[in-house]
Amino acid sequence: MTINWIGLWTMIRREIQRLARVPIQAVVAPLISALLFIFIFGFVVGGRISSIGGYRYLEFVLPGVVMMNIVNAAFLQATSQIYFQRFQKSIEEILVSPLSYVEMIAGTISIVILRSVFTAIGIMLIGVAFGAVHMHSVAEFLFWVIFVSMIFGFLGIIVALWAKTFEQLNVLVVFFITPLSMVGGVFNTVAMLPGWLRWLAYGNPFFYFINGLRHAMLGFNEAPTTIGVTLTVALAAVLGTIVWRLYAIGWGLRE
Amino acid sequence: MTPALEISHLRKVYKSGTVAVEDVSLTVRPGDFFGFLGPNGAGKSTTIHCITGITNPTSGTIRIFGVDAVADYRNARKLVGLSPQEFNVDPFANARNIVDWMGGYFGMRAAERKKRVDMLIERFDLVPHASKPFRELSGGLKRRVILARAMVNDPKLLILDEPTAGVDVELRMDLWRYLQELNRDGTTILLTSHYLEEIERLCRTIAIVHNGRIVRDGPKEEFFTEPGGLERAYLAATGKAAEHTAVAAR
Repeated sequence: MTINWIGLWTMIRREIQRLARVPIQAVVAPLISALLFIFIFGFVVGGRISSIGGYRYLEFVLPGVVMMNIVNAAFLQATSQIYFQRFQKSIEEILVSPLSYVEMIAGTISIVILRSVFTAIGIMLIGVAFGAVHMHSVAEFLFWVIFVSMIFGFLGIIVALWAKTFEQLNVLVVFFITPLSMVGGVFNTVAMLPGWLRWLAYGNPFFYFINGLRHAMLGFNEAPTTIGVTLTVALAAVLGTIVWRLYAIGWGLRE
Repeated sequence: MTPALEISHLRKVYKSGTVAVEDVSLTVRPGDFFGFLGPNGAGKSTTIHCITGITNPTSGTIRIFGVDAVADYRNARKLVGLSPQEFNVDPFANARNIVDWMGGYFGMRAAERKKRVDMLIERFDLVPHASKPFRELSGGLKRRVILARAMVNDPKLLILDEPTAGVDVELRMDLWRYLQELNRDGTTILLTSHYLEEIERLCRTIAIVHNGRIVRDGPKEEFFTEPGGLERAYLAATGKAAEHTAVAAR
């Protein structure tokens, strides 16, 4: 069976047109949030911290800020796209078309990655303005942006298929994503945590995402890269398989 | 000859436990204009949703021109165009985009799509409204957009779920003419409607569904050989004839 490239591209351009209708939510909000983080933690707080691992505090914090925004952009994009299409029933346009389930998912995830990449680039440009951007490995940087976007895109799809109300869309953000990202090493190294709390960092997947991106940008590493990469690829594969299965059985779509 | 649509023992039970379709079996010949009648909640729309992939059948088989609509859903979908009863579109998108996107999902190339979208926009008198958001259009114009979208892939089987509900006489007559043209050119059409006049005028074969089962089907002529015609046959098939006779007698 050949890939329906035109169908896939249509899903992408349609979503780009939808995002163009909400530029403040899609583009401006994450940049302002990142700017505030950079200002407060980079200057106000960072001004009182000499350096971490040989880097200015702002340089240390920036990868974490980028990762937090990638996670939020990916999750928000997937949930809003799928949930609103379900809510409006416009998802039926996709369901009646000759797109395979893999193509339907790929179309959604492509947009998720695109939005995350643009968000990351926007924040990096702000970082450049503050002289805080380094790039140790572009390939690693792209790996983390793309794979973490995929993970939270898949999670977003699952939540959007499950949610019956708008409020339910936020459950994962409030109780899981925000707390774990905050304690995942955005603002501190593991060494700065008391000994009894370090297990929390090593058991937190966000730590590996942030640590991975920090290594890609600064070359600063607090955990073996292979653990982070293996965990991330495995999570993306497991969640991708779950989403494919949900599409195949029609859970939340064709019940 | 391979039937355009062959449904065998279709059953659909929703998660809530509601049995929307109990046991529907029907065959639509290629080139037919098939009327699918039944009271509200009889199972017409659910049957259509099962054919087009909007909902999963609980059991039974559906074949579209011999292609299994579940096992080989991609190839089956290529053959079908659907105008649903409810407006299932992004209300902020404009009419042209709505039609164009559907062509894109069907894998139509840009040039071919543009030609087809232009033709449909013109055919349905949507030219002055093509750039307006869907939500700003009147009910009749919205219906035209949905019909144009259903036809963008030039389907071999066109399914129209109450396409003239709430539209003015002019569009209804115009749509009837267009559907007859399409049918003459070989498109198989499955039409549901509450307007018996519409079914009488357009369809060659009629099936009546009631409580999730086909209670009567056959060529249109069979329904007209009986006294009272289609209306009487419809009321008898849906178990309402006695009730209506009593009301009429009062």
